[in-house]
Amino acid sequence: MKKNILVALASLFMVTSCSEDVMDKINKDNNNPGIDVVPAKFSITDAIMSSAFSTISGNYAWLASSFTEQEFGTGNNQLMKAELRNPSEVAASTTYNNEWNSTYANIANLRNIIKKTSPGGLNADQTDILGMAQTLFALNMGVLTDLHGNIPCSEAGMGAAILNPKIDTQESIYAGSVLGMLNEAIVNLKAAGLLNNAKAQDILFEGDASKWLGFAYALKARYLLHTQFRNPAVLTEVIAAANEALAAGFDGADLSVFNGVTTDNPWTAFFWSRAYTGTSSTVVDLMKERNDNRLVIYNFNMHKNNLYGTPGDEVQAGLTETLNAPSWLNNGACSVHLLSKSELYFILAEAKTRLGQDASADFTKAVETSFDDYQVSDSDPKETKFENNGSEYAAGLPVTLKEIMVQKYLSQCRDEQIEAYNDIRRCQALGENWIELKNPLNNQKGVNYWPERFPYGNSSVISNPIINEAFNNIDIYKDKVWLFGGEK
Amino acid sequence: MRRLTFLLFSLFLGVGLMYAQKKISGTVLSSEDGQPIIGAAVMAKGTSVGTVTDYDGNFSIDVPESVKMLTFTYVGMKPVEEAVKPHMVIKMSSLSQDLDEVVITAMGMKRDRKALGYAAQDLKSDQLNTDGTTSLASAIQGKLTGVDIRQSSGMPGASSQIVIRGARSFSGNNQPLYVVDGMPISSSPDFSTGNSVTGANISDRSIDINPEDIESINVLKGQAASALYGIRASNGVIVITTKRGSKNTSKPQITISTNLSAERVSRKFERQTVYAQGNSVASGYNPSSSMSWGPKITDLPNDPKYGGNKETDPQYHGMYYNSKMKDAGLSGWTTPQIYDNVGDFLGTGFTENTNVSVSQTKDKIGYSFGVSNSYQNGIIPSTGMNRWGARGLVDWQLTDEFKTGFSINYSNVNITSAPAANSGIMNVVYSAPSEYNLKGIPYNVPNDPTKQILFRSTSFNNPYWWADNDEYRQQTGRAFGNAYVEYRPKIGWGDNYDLVFREQLGIDFYTSTYNDVAEVGSATNPKGQINNYGTTKNIFNNLFTATWSGKWEDWHVDVLLGNEVNQNNDRVWDYFGSNFNFYGLPVIGNATNFTSVEYLRKDRTVGFFGSVSASYANMLYLTVTGRNDFVSTMPRGSRSFFYPSVSLGWIFTELEGLKENPILSFGKIRTSFAQVGQAGRYYDNYMTVPSYGGGMYSYAPVNYPINGVSSYTPYGVLYDPNLKPQNTSNVEAGFDLAFFNNRLRFDYTYSYQDVKDQIFTVPIDGSTGYSSLMTNAGQMKTNSHEFSINGAILENKNYSLDLGVNFTKIKNEVVKLAPGVESIMLGGFVEPQVRAQEGATYPNLYGVAFQRDEKTGMLILNDKGLPMGTSSSVNLGNCSPDFVMGFNLGARYKRVSLSTTWNWQHGGKMYHGTNMVMNYFGATKESLPYHEGDIEVTGISQTTGKEVTMKVNGQDYYQAYYDVTESGIYDQSFLKLRDVTLTYQLPKFRGIDISVFGFARNILIWSKMPNFDPESSQGNGNMGGYFERFSLPNTSSYGGGLKLTF
Repeated sequence: MKKNILVALASLFMVTSCSEDVMDKINKDNNNPGIDVVPAKFSITDAIMSSAFSTISGNYAWLASSFTEQEFGTGNNQLMKAELRNPSEVAASTTYNNEWNSTYANIANLRNIIKKTSPGGLNADQTDILGMAQTLFALNMGVLTDLHGNIPCSEAGMGAAILNPKIDTQESIYAGSVLGMLNEAIVNLKAAGLLNNAKAQDILFEGDASKWLGFAYALKARYLLHTQFRNPAVLTEVIAAANEALAAGFDGADLSVFNGVTTDNPWTAFFWSRAYTGTSSTVVDLMKERNDNRLVIYNFNMHKNNLYGTPGDEVQAGLTETLNAPSWLNNGACSVHLLSKSELYFILAEAKTRLGQDASADFTKAVETSFDDYQVSDSDPKETKFENNGSEYAAGLPVTLKEIMVQKYLSQCRDEQIEAYNDIRRCQALGENWIELKNPLNNQKGVNYWPERFPYGNSSVISNPIINEAFNNIDIYKDKVWLFGGEK
Repeated sequence: MRRLTFLLFSLFLGVGLMYAQKKISGTVLSSEDGQPIIGAAVMAKGTSVGTVTDYDGNFSIDVPESVKMLTFTYVGMKPVEEAVKPHMVIKMSSLSQDLDEVVITAMGMKRDRKALGYAAQDLKSDQLNTDGTTSLASAIQGKLTGVDIRQSSGMPGASSQIVIRGARSFSGNNQPLYVVDGMPISSSPDFSTGNSVTGANISDRSIDINPEDIESINVLKGQAASALYGIRASNGVIVITTKRGSKNTSKPQITISTNLSAERVSRKFERQTVYAQGNSVASGYNPSSSMSWGPKITDLPNDPKYGGNKETDPQYHGMYYNSKMKDAGLSGWTTPQIYDNVGDFLGTGFTENTNVSVSQTKDKIGYSFGVSNSYQNGIIPSTGMNRWGARGLVDWQLTDEFKTGFSINYSNVNITSAPAANSGIMNVVYSAPSEYNLKGIPYNVPNDPTKQILFRSTSFNNPYWWADNDEYRQQTGRAFGNAYVEYRPKIGWGDNYDLVFREQLGIDFYTSTYNDVAEVGSATNPKGQINNYGTTKNIFNNLFTATWSGKWEDWHVDVLLGNEVNQNNDRVWDYFGSNFNFYGLPVIGNATNFTSVEYLRKDRTVGFFGSVSASYANMLYLTVTGRNDFVSTMPRGSRSFFYPSVSLGWIFTELEGLKENPILSFGKIRTSFAQVGQAGRYYDNYMTVPSYGGGMYSYAPVNYPINGVSSYTPYGVLYDPNLKPQNTSNVEAGFDLAFFNNRLRFDYTYSYQDVKDQIFTVPIDGSTGYSSLMTNAGQMKTNSHEFSINGAILENKNYSLDLGVNFTKIKNEVVKLAPGVESIMLGGFVEPQVRAQEGATYPNLYGVAFQRDEKTGMLILNDKGLPMGTSSSVNLGNCSPDFVMGFNLGARYKRVSLSTTWNWQHGGKMYHGTNMVMNYFGATKESLPYHEGDIEVTGISQTTGKEVTMKVNGQDYYQAYYDVTESGIYDQSFLKLRDVTLTYQLPKFRGIDISVFGFARNILIWSKMPNFDPESSQGNGNMGGYFERFSLPNTSSYGGGLKLTF
């Protein structure tokens, strides 16, 4: 009898303790929401932050700042190696892996938002958020393809559905996922009108669709300009898009949630973590030639040694916490420019000048805006005693293509190095060399060591045979990207 | 021990006399040499009447008329039971040569050792090296075959990695299951140290077990041995039995033992003391450089910038100026002098272990209670450990049919540890210039404790500032144990049949809290931060078994059926605060920025199992087992798995022609096959709050919520809904031979393991938008050879000499990973890393190698004559050793005994970042010839592709060489004296048995790697043991103690 009871008890135990339903309940994830239940607006927040903090301000920008000589790589480690054009750093897929991955993760997040805000989705009526996501998608894809050329796009960011995304041509990406996507964004943002579904979740514009519309047009102007080598007639479209941006009230797309205490600007966080950034003589010389007041902020005596870097200088690159550095690197509250107001005016000035139109007003505005930006980024105004004479300074400058490009270069020293790198390559494709790069290691015994592009991220190189093959077929020192005169 | 037994039985000799009714006398002799055995216990069976033999081995006892049998026991000898005769001559044989001993196997089943169809190895309490250590891992190091034990360092509470017969999981848990008194308990660390390049080590939970509480450890290595434990046992099982009630006594037996020891760094880094701080001799003294490539220390007063030998300032003649000293409030001028910064910082550690226990078996109740304390001060200031333990165990035979009992263990462990790698302090100590008085120069600016003073940049902490300000604290309070009822129904089938039902309910309950504190002014966290995190685990385990055994003539059959339910409820929390308002109050309330995470997690495993063992004629032994597990952590439809095992043992010396052979006294061939699996943890794909940090950032620069706004993005890991259990198949074969009346034993085991469908997060192409996919992929196989020789070389009443040698060779190969995945990261930096790589043994090192000429293997030199690194990472060597050997030698002469354990590891590579960086910094003695002038180098020219010999600056060459990771890859081979203990058994004093002992342990005798002890590394997971970067040092201890029994 006792035995029977035990057997019955055991059987009962079996049925109740390990049925699939009971096990499902035990294994339920109580801590994290499923993909399909989170409203899109909660994802747009980090889509903005990730674009600003990771895509345009991480290793892509840090490495680019050495290639453009807007900053000097120091600190006896990775940035020293970049400064010395060491291929084990510059050409390695591991160097750019973090930003490659985070940008594609952002693409996946954006695809998810677009799906939720498109017809049939969880938030199908939120066209304002749809337009924001499309704008950011174009920005992220634009940065990726400008730096890496032909990349996964149409099949990217789809998770387990496509584990080895194919590579699309830069031409098709520009047509579809950059400019095409911006056009769609513009349509949706216009349609959104006064909708404000994101509110505070939109840490860029507090959900204001008209500001996003301006941003989308500004991006369109930038990316149209990038196609200039392939489409010389694009300049009028560039001007039109830029004017639309201004008409929509574009006043810069600056992410300004940083406070230097609990949320730090990425460049500052990098500097506080590593101190790998110094002042470069290429910029110092350009500023000195122009008697430029911004020099006191740019060439800040950070470590009390009053010494600035000369591009390619091996000894200086090996120093730690010694060289001067831009003052803003100590200002963790600096905003991040997703696309600065001055960039838009420089775009206008350049396009108009190339078309033989008068660009002086735009140029002046661009330079003035840059001076204002330097001023607010200054971490130590008492020390630098910066005097903002932007208007006066701009008035004394010749409105030539060269000066426009030099001024754009100087204005973009803070956090727009990726655009400066794009401009240098774009102009080189057009046969122009407005910024004279001084690093002697760019060319060693007749061999080019200045990267024409960035290699693919390591995760794709080791896990995707398609990208692995492409990686092995690309010489980053020889193969320019399609936009800037190459094939790949 | 003889004293002890003598004492015990002398004590109740009087008691016995009162009831005596017939007198029996006799002699007890050793069967080996015919010598009398002094102090053997003689008991009248079924009573508490007893005596002990005298110095001639004689005894005389008065026993009640009803007594039919006498039992004779003596420590280290096989017990003898004989029918009562007026005069008896008893021969006892040594237990060490006894192969009939009983071992505890899976599910607590007691089996004759000879009946096993697989290798089993067990250690008794007296075989454990428990003196001068607090960790179980170090108590068993060097004692076992097939078991790889890697300590992370010699610090109090340091984690260790125990892996039996190689790994089975690329990135998951490879540590065995621990079963204490029948209850599976958690032993892995509460938190993984992940890539293990920042912060401090986190202890594994085996630290809660006091090695002194252990009666025996049985290691179930092969899957056939452990298959009954199901899914959790694929990594083998460590079955621990705690000390129980001693033999039937009228009086409690009390044991007090204590030992004290002092620790010193096992190998002290001796840096060069010739050259001063600076980037090169030519550029002169540099008081903020991290390197020691400067001018000669003796030349400092002549330094053009900092030297005092200038005509303008005669008062500074013979001195030099150091700006850091000035910052610290001193004059700044000082005379060249050599300081032992390493010796100053690494002090003398202290370890104390005290145990008090009471045990007794009286009538139908056996009990054992104990309290213990272990206290350690680390050799690094502010580090230490304090563990309090209490335990109780009762077995009670209620009636003929019912037995019940419980076992409960409580421990409270406090550990303070120190950081390494990117948060390191040891690199600062090692690289401190010899002329810089690291200990003597104040570590902060006068009146501002948040401004550190250090000879170099404060991207690393001043170690003295660190010790006084920052903290890594771990605290765990834990209780585990179980209660059981056994029911043995009287069915009346006779003595040949036995049926037992057993119900056991156990819990393992603990809370661990961690506090990582960085005060205001800390390197990389200048604003200060605190991280309070922890976990509460509540594990419930119910085990019901029914066993039946029967004997018919030559046949003997055992059947076991059972059910086990294991449920784990976890709570995990992580509260983070940063940016303290002010210095001096590094608590979360003083922070101004907060983030927190807290979650609950559950899992359940339900298993049904059965085992049938049959033996024939004490010669053939066959066991078949099966278990079906249902696991909650797998996706619907993939939750049920079945594990079979079969094992066969054949004692061929039972064959007629081989029986009683004078040379070969015992011989057994055994073989087994088993399959065991491992489950993954499956979830539906989900979203999380994203985080920032890692890579170039030394802290988390952005934390949600931002201005009250949070965000959700897809989690980077995808889960494969078709996940299935991974499967390990194991074939094992071996033999046990014993010669010369079992005095010499030889055991050999070969094992082959094939692990398919590994569950791991396969790294995927980042352009998918995700980092990895949790799926089945890959294969790993392991071939292992284990053998041991144990010999009683000399054996006599007055002296003995025993030798044990064990040998293990494990080849653990990664056959394939996932399609397109060539290697996966287990830990480390972007470069170098520890990886699992296809075609390599597990794990291997991965990083930048030297560019070499393919034909000659010579280094390719650039135009300046300097070696260069490869542009991408490559396999830099396999970590697992070629073989590992342990030597155990025990010798006794009268009252003095000596036991010693040696460990020899041959081969296996490790990355030693400290050696590499200290070379790069010019701090090693090896760098001395390179500080000044040129050297001649030969290599292959990068431009011409031909062999060249060039003159290059010595320092340039040396630094270029030690900038390439391959230069930091070292052979791990070493020989260590794990333990040597000398014990003296004092003559009995007032009825108290006293033994005193002195010991030394963990003394590095020889190592192929220079400057450091190879047993010091990063990580508490699979990378542990192979990756060093400013890791905490290992220690040697010297001490003594005493043990009282009464």
